Amino acid sequence: MSVSDDIGTPRGASIVRSPAALRKRDGRVGRVPLFAYAAVAPTLLIVLAVVGVPLAYSLYLSLHRTNPITKTFIYVGFDNYASLAGNADFAAALGRTAYFAAFSVAGTTVLGLAMALLLNERFFGRGVLRSMVLVPWAMAPVSVGVLWSFIYAGNFGALTGLLNDLGLGGWALPWLGDGFRALNLVALTNVWSQAPLTALMLLAGLQSMPGSLHKAAMLDGAGPVARFFAITLPWLKPNLLFISIIATINSLMAFDILWIMTRGGPGAATTVLSWLGYLTSFQFLRFGQGAAILYCLTALSFVLAIAYFAILGPRRSRPGARPVPPTVDGGVPGARTLAPMAVLPPPRVRPRLPRPVALGLARGGFAIAVLALVLWSALPVLALILMSLTPASDLIRTPATVVPSGLTLQNFQTVLMPSSSGGFSTSVQAQRVPLALINSIVVGACVSLVCIVLGTFAGYAFARHGRSRFFAVSLWGLLLTRMTPGLTLVLPFFIIYRGFGLIDTRTGLIIAYCSFLLPLSAWMMRSYFEGVPVSLDRAALIDGCSRVRMMWSVLLPVVRPGVIAAAIFCFLASWNEFLFALILTSTPNAQTIPVVISGFLSQAQFYEYGPMFAASVLSILPPVLVAFFFQRFLVQGALSGAVKG
Amino acid sequence: MTSITIETVSKSYGAMPVLKGLDIDIRDGEFVSFLGPSGCGKSTLLFCIAGIEAISAGRILFDGQDVSRLAPRDRNIALVFQDYALYPHMAVRDNLAFPLRQQKLGPDVVRRQVDWAAGLLGLEALLDRMPAELSGGQRQRVAVGRAIVRNPAALLMDEPLSNLDASLRVRTRTEIKRLQRELRTTVAFVTHDQEEAMVLSDRVAVMNAGVLQQFAEPMTIYRQPANLFVAGFIGSPQMNFLPGDGAPGGHGAGRLIGVRPFDLVPAGGGPGDGFALTGELALIEPAGPVHYLDVDVGGRMVKATCVDPSGLQPGAALTLTAPRHTLHLFDASSGLRLAS
Repeated sequence: MSVSDDIGTPRGASIVRSPAALRKRDGRVGRVPLFAYAAVAPTLLIVLAVVGVPLAYSLYLSLHRTNPITKTFIYVGFDNYASLAGNADFAAALGRTAYFAAFSVAGTTVLGLAMALLLNERFFGRGVLRSMVLVPWAMAPVSVGVLWSFIYAGNFGALTGLLNDLGLGGWALPWLGDGFRALNLVALTNVWSQAPLTALMLLAGLQSMPGSLHKAAMLDGAGPVARFFAITLPWLKPNLLFISIIATINSLMAFDILWIMTRGGPGAATTVLSWLGYLTSFQFLRFGQGAAILYCLTALSFVLAIAYFAILGPRRSRPGARPVPPTVDGGVPGARTLAPMAVLPPPRVRPRLPRPVALGLARGGFAIAVLALVLWSALPVLALILMSLTPASDLIRTPATVVPSGLTLQNFQTVLMPSSSGGFSTSVQAQRVPLALINSIVVGACVSLVCIVLGTFAGYAFARHGRSRFFAVSLWGLLLTRMTPGLTLVLPFFIIYRGFGLIDTRTGLIIAYCSFLLPLSAWMMRSYFEGVPVSLDRAALIDGCSRVRMMWSVLLPVVRPGVIAAAIFCFLASWNEFLFALILTSTPNAQTIPVVISGFLSQAQFYEYGPMFAASVLSILPPVLVAFFFQRFLVQGALSGAVKG
Repeated sequence: MTSITIETVSKSYGAMPVLKGLDIDIRDGEFVSFLGPSGCGKSTLLFCIAGIEAISAGRILFDGQDVSRLAPRDRNIALVFQDYALYPHMAVRDNLAFPLRQQKLGPDVVRRQVDWAAGLLGLEALLDRMPAELSGGQRQRVAVGRAIVRNPAALLMDEPLSNLDASLRVRTRTEIKRLQRELRTTVAFVTHDQEEAMVLSDRVAVMNAGVLQQFAEPMTIYRQPANLFVAGFIGSPQMNFLPGDGAPGGHGAGRLIGVRPFDLVPAGGGPGDGFALTGELALIEPAGPVHYLDVDVGGRMVKATCVDPSGLQPGAALTLTAPRHTLHLFDASSGLRLAS
């Protein structure tokens, strides 16, 4: 704690002894209260059990050759890793991963920066546009994949249809048919869904910039471009570091949209490492080798994170500048030999456009940029809604067109009231939608509740005692779990869950989601608590509160916006999650909505596009509502560094 | 090196007027302060002069040339911000060089001029430090250095001393005064601290609610406040105001008598011809060179001063006097000063 706690110590001792020595002598001084340990214990135990054990288990797997049928494990040491070194498939996948990640990171950063700069200006409708921009990121990757795979679909896709309608049918291509083009298009889709996150975090950085900096630079003679490079970009450097790390990890781990859009094809053109690991583990059932691939992916993200830190990280001021002789503050320099003033040329007269022209150009350019942003963010989502209202048969017309023959609610009827849609054959998959929605809501609500209760206590302890070693180490441990791909964990989860009979249960999903959302909520609450003055805790304790009472009556009301933000993030992440839900459920009993949507793609009955889009629209409903009504909480979440994994 | 003429300048944010038809004429090389309570529009006026804020009506002239529609960077003025606005990612040297580099000056000229500014402000030892490593006073000097380094036509300062502690503030304001004398720059200085404004300025523009109240030399403003607002705002402790009909001397209803605490002393021994008030002494506040006396005169608290409080007892009756020529007379309804 602070100096004020030292009052009770003997005077003589406090002069010579360091605070650390004092702390040892007097148990009361600087001791972390038991309450703090109790507050983090549940979070740490759950994460340790639910992440640590599977992680260790998959490491164990990666060192073995396994036979899932005979259940024999043969220790092979690093053979699984060694075999990857000479594996051409692995090398090619690594190359594609690098390309995919570079494309995604560059795309999201440039685009996100442009979005953030636009959204930082004041203009009519900025709030609505901010919400609109967030939708592609808030919606489930599965829905993103469904949407864009239909847009790019060969003969009857929306893009081809649009070109036909515009009379440019000759330009149409089998979009995802060509290998390299498919890789680029999938990466572009990834950029579409991830750029808003970058924009959100950069916007938070821009808003923290003191307005006087730009005014000062303006007066110092810097134009808009010079100001962007000399002031804005350096100011955003810490944000950019964090964003690059997040964007890199997210693109290395990208799995859902690949599963939906290309499944690694055509051929192996979009087989990146995460997909290769999935294939090896779950299709070829070579668990050991699959685990090794995924461990390589984890290692890669660690190495890249460290590299970013080394390149972009905060730097101490130049060595050699120190030590500086102390100067008396404000002291009048005495007898000075002044350097002569340089002869300055008269100030430059800039060539200027007439002001109305310049102003008009600026306004016009800005309006065009805003319009482009609206189209980029909203058009695909509106297309999804339109397709869900289009008669199912329209969606597979050739030649394709985007103009529906009429609007209908038939698709929604099919998925929401499967039994009553008489005369229309309802597929098995469509009948699963209502239960899936209920499952998603139940799981999301439970996960949010658990995470905010445990995460708030843990966040408090981390914020107040972050400098104590135990808390510092465990906080970093929690953060590291966010760098491990879910793919690495999901196989051990499957095996362990089978043992406990948790497969196909909502409880199982809730436990799994808590394992990776607890660190997130603890991290968010920690940064929120750091903004709450410690004097509030002290006042409450002095006024006679117990620690629990202090949390409940004093701190909780203060951090309520943070709690809401954490709850929203946890709900969204759990609502949108696909991989765990896919692997850990096999019957409709516990399947969530992303799994059911993906199921439409796997079934044979191929003209089920209508109901699938209806289900997709239903699945993006909560994210869209959140983006529009809780936008400020999302900004709050971005400020505290929360990210959807 | 430039005169600044502000002609009926108005500024409003939407329907909300901030500046209402200001006329201020700043002479070449003059040090002028804009003084007023917070929210009176003084900083807005400064930003309008700088061109950071556009004016809604009127004109701003530099040396007779209309600059109202010029961009800030084409006005050749410098501004010291309240929070200094040092570029956090640049060392002091680069902060100082930034405005010169924007003028595309050669590295040689830039170096010489940075050295000159650093020498002038005693920043030589700090040139390689980052702003975060400087104390408040050092940051303030760097901000001033960056403002003067390119020899601007006018130097604008927005409460540059308000983030310093009291003793440093007094020393720094002397420095600023000296610098202005040396460089003979036209300076417009925004402050809410009347002492700062009085000490520094050739003339002070007192503003309230976007309206210019009085624009004159500091002692004129102190001795002949133009209206009730200026009278109450300038001088600490605040001037006492008494209704003309209630006070002795028969100044009549509809008038207010103003008397400064420093002019109002316990009677006895002094010139007896003056204005006198009798009341009950409520409180004695020692303030160093003088003691403040709070006297209850007919239910109204009046502040007076005395050098030697011995013999004065709280609760006892006390008569206060002030020389007649120190009284200020105001019209109660218009608030304007009346010739006494």
